[in-house]
Amino acid sequence: MKTVVITGATSGIGLAAARCLLKKGYRVICLGHNRENCVKAELSLKAEGIGAEVLFFRADLMQQGEVNRVADLLCGYIEKNCEGKLYALINNAGCVRSRYTTTQEGYEQQFALNYLAGFLLTFRLLKFLVRAGGRVIMTGSRSHRGIGVHWKDIMLKDGYNPLTAYKQSKLCGYLFAKALNDRYSQCGLRAYAVDPGLVRTDIGNKQTGTLVNLIWLMRKRHGAEPEVPAETYGFVCEEVSPPAGLCYRDSRECGCGRQVTSKNADALFELSEKLCGIKYPGAGEI
Amino acid sequence: MNVMITGAGGGLGRALASECAQRSYNLFLTDINQSGLTALQRGLEHQYGACVAAKACDLTKDDCVDELLSVIDRCGVKFDMLLNVTGVDCEGSFLGRERGRILEIVSLNIGATLRITHAILTRRRPGRRFFLVFVSSLASMYPMPLKATYAASKRFLLDFSLALGQELKSQNADVLALCPGGLATTAEAMRAIAAQGIWGDITANKLERVARSTVDKALRGKSLYIPGLVNRVLSACGRLVPRKLAAAAIYKRWTKSQEKWLIHESHNTD
Repeated sequence: MKTVVITGATSGIGLAAARCLLKKGYRVICLGHNRENCVKAELSLKAEGIGAEVLFFRADLMQQGEVNRVADLLCGYIEKNCEGKLYALINNAGCVRSRYTTTQEGYEQQFALNYLAGFLLTFRLLKFLVRAGGRVIMTGSRSHRGIGVHWKDIMLKDGYNPLTAYKQSKLCGYLFAKALNDRYSQCGLRAYAVDPGLVRTDIGNKQTGTLVNLIWLMRKRHGAEPEVPAETYGFVCEEVSPPAGLCYRDSRECGCGRQVTSKNADALFELSEKLCGIKYPGAGEI
Repeated sequence: MNVMITGAGGGLGRALASECAQRSYNLFLTDINQSGLTALQRGLEHQYGACVAAKACDLTKDDCVDELLSVIDRCGVKFDMLLNVTGVDCEGSFLGRERGRILEIVSLNIGATLRITHAILTRRRPGRRFFLVFVSSLASMYPMPLKATYAASKRFLLDFSLALGQELKSQNADVLALCPGGLATTAEAMRAIAAQGIWGDITANKLERVARSTVDKALRGKSLYIPGLVNRVLSACGRLVPRKLAAAAIYKRWTKSQEKWLIHESHNTD
């Protein structure tokens, strides 16, 4: 049985992806922020009769200490119960913040959760992923186009704008997927960004301000149900030979923004290593 | 520039620490929460390559502060700036709150602040200008029912800061009182701002901007900083309106928004 890890799996796209993969016969390890929501999600999956192979861990992934804590638990579990193999890691957890807010490290929260948490968690689970010839999937967004990385102020401390922060954090996800492919595709690891399109989730209604809350309430009415993008995650995981592209939408390859270049990917990779205080191993050292 | 920041582990303290690290100041951080402090230290080192020392301390306890000072003295650190951020708030009516929680406001916001200020002022770097900042609040401008102790403690800091500024004028030290409105520092603070509705949004300040301007204004030797135009107008009104009338008006408004906030809190426990 193939094991996958999904972050932000208690609601929205993450929960739908978990449901989709459980139905396809995967063992799914879900990460959620809130204990109550973890229990609720687990019960609903069990009630649907597909919860036999699901497991929930709680962690506040925007805090690096929490990523490391839960990564320790995951490493132990995967080593013991999954033959040390992780078939897929879906870095999906994300948030929107209408004001500049920081994590314990003093990192901007959208950047820290939407992108950096995935960077650190992938590092911690890398050897299991490589061992399984696995896949890393970042939850992307079309909004990553038309924006560049603010290299001089990546946390956007000077003139914070929620949408800019969101778009940039998503662009970083694409750049990370590209950097992973550049480094590790020779060891059988592949990374992807899945663009879910506009989806009816609560991302814009959790801990946001009045204005963002209102805008998102109106905007999400036009969104698809989370089950629609979940199919794309299923597709990227299910294909026997790993899909060759970088970005997928509606189970088809799609283009990505002009900023998604190897040069930017390398620069971001190096900066992220510094921010996490880690060094990814070379392809031969895993 | 050697800077001591109290209450550095969260919210405004953390934002000020980031600001100072970005300016390549050397930092000595303290907070009651060790894990938050360690995470921040690591973050500032990684992000800015800053030179950061950190030690957890309960500033309301004399022996804890003595221990902190002995570490400082052993390293021979002398300071150019002190940012007094540490403080607590406790919403609700005076009788509706436990005695201990209310006294904690006084012992932290006032007692601890005076304790550390005295200690650091006697550890100034000789021959250099010194910058001292107290974090008061917009709440210091009026008597605030349902936030009575908190608002009064912040009033204490405002008055103390202005008075101390005069005492230290001839000693090459500047004292700044910062009086911000709501700051979206935690999930709880964000909900509290939201519960105040439009007023919460209008009086809320941008954390990152307040942090930057506070350091700027301290360096320029200002004595009072009220961020935001609306807040400056409100505080000017506070000086014109009779204090009893202001208290009555605030009581009326706060009763409503506090009810909303408390209901919200009971639903929202994460």
